[in-house]
Amino acid sequence: MKKNVLIIAVAGLFLAAGTGLFGAAPVEKKLLLKNGHILPVSGEPFDGDILIVGARIAKLGQDLPVTPDTEVVDLQGQWVMPGIIDSHSHIAVEGNVNEGGDLMTPEVDVLDVINPEDINIYYALTGGVTCVHTMHGSANPIGGRGIVLKLKWGASADDMIVRQAPRTSKWALGENPKQSNADGMGKARYPKTRMGVEASIREIFEQAKDYMKRWEAYDRKAAAAKGKKDAVLPLPPKKDYRLESVADILRGKYWVRCHAYQSEEMASIIRLCKEYGVKLVSFEHGLEGYRITNELVENHVAVSTFEDFWAYKWEAYNTMPQSAALMVKRGVLVALNSDDAERMRRLFFDAAKAVRFGGLTELEALKTITINPAIILGIDKFTGTLEAGKDADIAVFSRHPLDPYSVCQMTLVDGKVYFDRAKYLEDRQKAEEAKKKAAEAPKPKDKKD
Amino acid sequence: MTKRTLKSGLAALCLGLFLVSAGPAGSVETLHRVWAIKDCRLVSPGGALVAKATILVRDGLIEAVGPSVAIPADAEVIDGSKLTAHPGLIDALGQSLLKLPEEKFDTAKFYSGEFTDKDRGITPELKAFDYVVLGKSTLEKYHKAGLLAAQAIPQKGIFTGQGSFFSLSSEDKNKALVIKDTWLGLSYSPSSFSVYPNSLMGVVALFRQEFADVEYFSMTTARWKKDLKGVSRADFNGRYDALADYAAGRKPVVFLCNNQHDIRRTLELAAELKLDYVICDLGSEAQFLIPELRKAKARILCTVGFKAPSTSVRAQLGKTEKEKAEKELYPKNPAKLAEAGIPFAFSSLGTDDPKSFLEGIQKAIDAGLARDKALEALTITPASFLGLDKALGTIEPGKIANLVLVDGDPLAKEPKVAMVFADGRKFEFKDTKGKEGEKPTVNVSGRWELTIPDAGLKMNADLSQEEAALSGKLTTPFGVFDFTGGSVSGNEIYFEMNISVGGQDIDLYFSATVTGDTMRGNVVQGTQGSSEFTAKRNPS
Repeated sequence: MKKNVLIIAVAGLFLAAGTGLFGAAPVEKKLLLKNGHILPVSGEPFDGDILIVGARIAKLGQDLPVTPDTEVVDLQGQWVMPGIIDSHSHIAVEGNVNEGGDLMTPEVDVLDVINPEDINIYYALTGGVTCVHTMHGSANPIGGRGIVLKLKWGASADDMIVRQAPRTSKWALGENPKQSNADGMGKARYPKTRMGVEASIREIFEQAKDYMKRWEAYDRKAAAAKGKKDAVLPLPPKKDYRLESVADILRGKYWVRCHAYQSEEMASIIRLCKEYGVKLVSFEHGLEGYRITNELVENHVAVSTFEDFWAYKWEAYNTMPQSAALMVKRGVLVALNSDDAERMRRLFFDAAKAVRFGGLTELEALKTITINPAIILGIDKFTGTLEAGKDADIAVFSRHPLDPYSVCQMTLVDGKVYFDRAKYLEDRQKAEEAKKKAAEAPKPKDKKD
Repeated sequence: MTKRTLKSGLAALCLGLFLVSAGPAGSVETLHRVWAIKDCRLVSPGGALVAKATILVRDGLIEAVGPSVAIPADAEVIDGSKLTAHPGLIDALGQSLLKLPEEKFDTAKFYSGEFTDKDRGITPELKAFDYVVLGKSTLEKYHKAGLLAAQAIPQKGIFTGQGSFFSLSSEDKNKALVIKDTWLGLSYSPSSFSVYPNSLMGVVALFRQEFADVEYFSMTTARWKKDLKGVSRADFNGRYDALADYAAGRKPVVFLCNNQHDIRRTLELAAELKLDYVICDLGSEAQFLIPELRKAKARILCTVGFKAPSTSVRAQLGKTEKEKAEKELYPKNPAKLAEAGIPFAFSSLGTDDPKSFLEGIQKAIDAGLARDKALEALTITPASFLGLDKALGTIEPGKIANLVLVDGDPLAKEPKVAMVFADGRKFEFKDTKGKEGEKPTVNVSGRWELTIPDAGLKMNADLSQEEAALSGKLTTPFGVFDFTGGSVSGNEIYFEMNISVGGQDIDLYFSATVTGDTMRGNVVQGTQGSSEFTAKRNPS
């Protein structure tokens, strides 16, 4: 078994390198982005070129040599940054993003319901977004599993899903799992308090531990009975996908993304996760995160937050536009996210606000929408900055992306142009002209034979 | 021989019933059980067109077919020289034969939270057979469209219920039944209540858990049966019991897919759960997944409503784009599948009645589907999907005598079906608007007091006559019912209606001879027999 895995892995490597194990090496497309103001985020900005071979960045530098098989795009001094990554989104999910029917639903999976036809994927590309973490809603203390997508508009769900990214589990604390905002119809669902929310998580952890024990006991008995004549095989425990999912959370298989606003409940859930060895990766929104920066840094918990969106419910009052910047300055890993298909198109604008209001440096601000979310999603090894060897996920802007008048001009995912504003405008104009012509043209008379 | 006698005996029995129910208009069935359709054109899938053939029908089956079939002495000969015969059409999956009881939702559930499995959409025990109603007018609608067999399935919920397959030859569903519990319907339609699951991803998770539970139930039950000693038995569970055959892949399930993403999900899920499955393509988007379907050797049911699913990018781009796609792109779905060699049959789900079902198929033909492929998808392919290709789907000796005799092109925009044979029973269509040439000699317009002495009933009938056409309403103790048809010919009148008494639907057919302000005649009550009635016109 292990051997096979190794062979597959090696084959994968070869394929990735473009050599191929059998036959001729596939010819990879070469694309040179020339004459740009380049913001690699991983290093100092410079004026120059980026060479893309296939899906990856091959080289960055000045006056890169052009071979005859290279397609050249002259950027004429436009600005280039890594593709923006939105670490908290709900786009491309078919059906309800919340499985609100039960309290705990860790077994439901966004992976099963990706809609690659969601037009919001294209809209996101128009704002330079190349990658999103699309996830379950916040109706349950432990909701469903999320997935990372590369926004390859027009491709299938399979092609968009980033399999290398660790799987995530969406949790929620506070008003939403308490159903405080439910419309009054229906039976009250336990829990109705913050302490109840945490207790409910602890309770299902214990159930899952018990479930794991039952399976371990069965496996032991089955192993002992193996090969023995007349041995009565024990009855296996009943498979329970819900507890199985919680067991996987306890085994650290899922990275936990926990929706929370208030500092005290965040601090409390950090302790709970520590107690059970659960991999708590980030708080979602975390508007009061600036109050517990020591705890966040110490426990390596990131915050995926809004720049200046608050006061939409009482638990979201105690924050300010400086919040993200304050956390960054104290060493917390911070990502600015959208949680919204519309805001997603202007995350660069939110990053600019962190400079204006919070006093972040340009680099710090750019990181909050590129490499920081990449780290939170566990995909920083192959995206999030402009570096040779990384995926060619790139956004081109008319001005510096933190300039309020900047417009995204072009977006590339895995080396392919998925959005080109000039071409889009040209196509639109052509379509409008064709429509006009069709309306003006006299109707053809019926042919008479 | 004994077999045949038994069959004839049974046939005679149902005919006895049928004679009573046959009204003077619409499709008419006769006593005879041996027919020779002489010199007709023959169209049958997989076979070459035969210009002149004779089909011999005996006791419900096709006995012989070909250009030189000897006509036995006991056969009634039908001159088929102007007719084209093709196998009875099959609706692979529909629900218009179903009459599920309407249930009032108890809003107290919102507050008590006591929802049932039914509210959750989990009703695998629900059997179409129990709710199918084969009324006379329903049969006639199907017959007129050449549809002589259909599978009915409940469509609501997630585990929607089990289908039933009928040959539409009798109002008695016990006689019409071919296979009782056919396929199990599975649908990606979460409940809208606050119950689990109420999201699409929850539905997928439920499928996984439910089939795992059934497997566990079957495993523990089998284990106890194998060794009654030393193993404690599992509790019985009706739901798991109903699902056991389907979960084990012994019977097919049919996934009702709203769009291409549902189809993709189905391919993955069915492989994961090792199900024997058929895909019902409600969104007409199978065309976008040809390589995947080919690889999975999937069987498809094409629907012909051709509405763009809301997930489609074409639907998201606005009304103009959506309508354009519904006109140009979606009707191409069957043609695309035919081109790629993906096996498909037609399903009437998403259309209102047999007529609109055929209109939808016509749209598919206009969009490029070859006529012979369309015929296959309505005959031999659905028969083979149901495991009935030896019994239905072509005109061959030994098969069930389901035949359509058309005056002209069988797949014309409005095919003129002259007569059909369902299970070897002949149904002919008569004009309900009165016999030609016989002008009405009476005018019956007005209010009549109608008496049925056997039933001890006195009712008011309001009649309105316009030349040969008759309409009106009957005021009964059970409610007021409009005529569903009526005619006047000479001094004879005929009208029919469908009344509902105590939750039961009864067809009534009145025929009478009129003399001035009185009439005398018969009323046939569905399959219950006939009674005499008289009526007197109220002086206006």
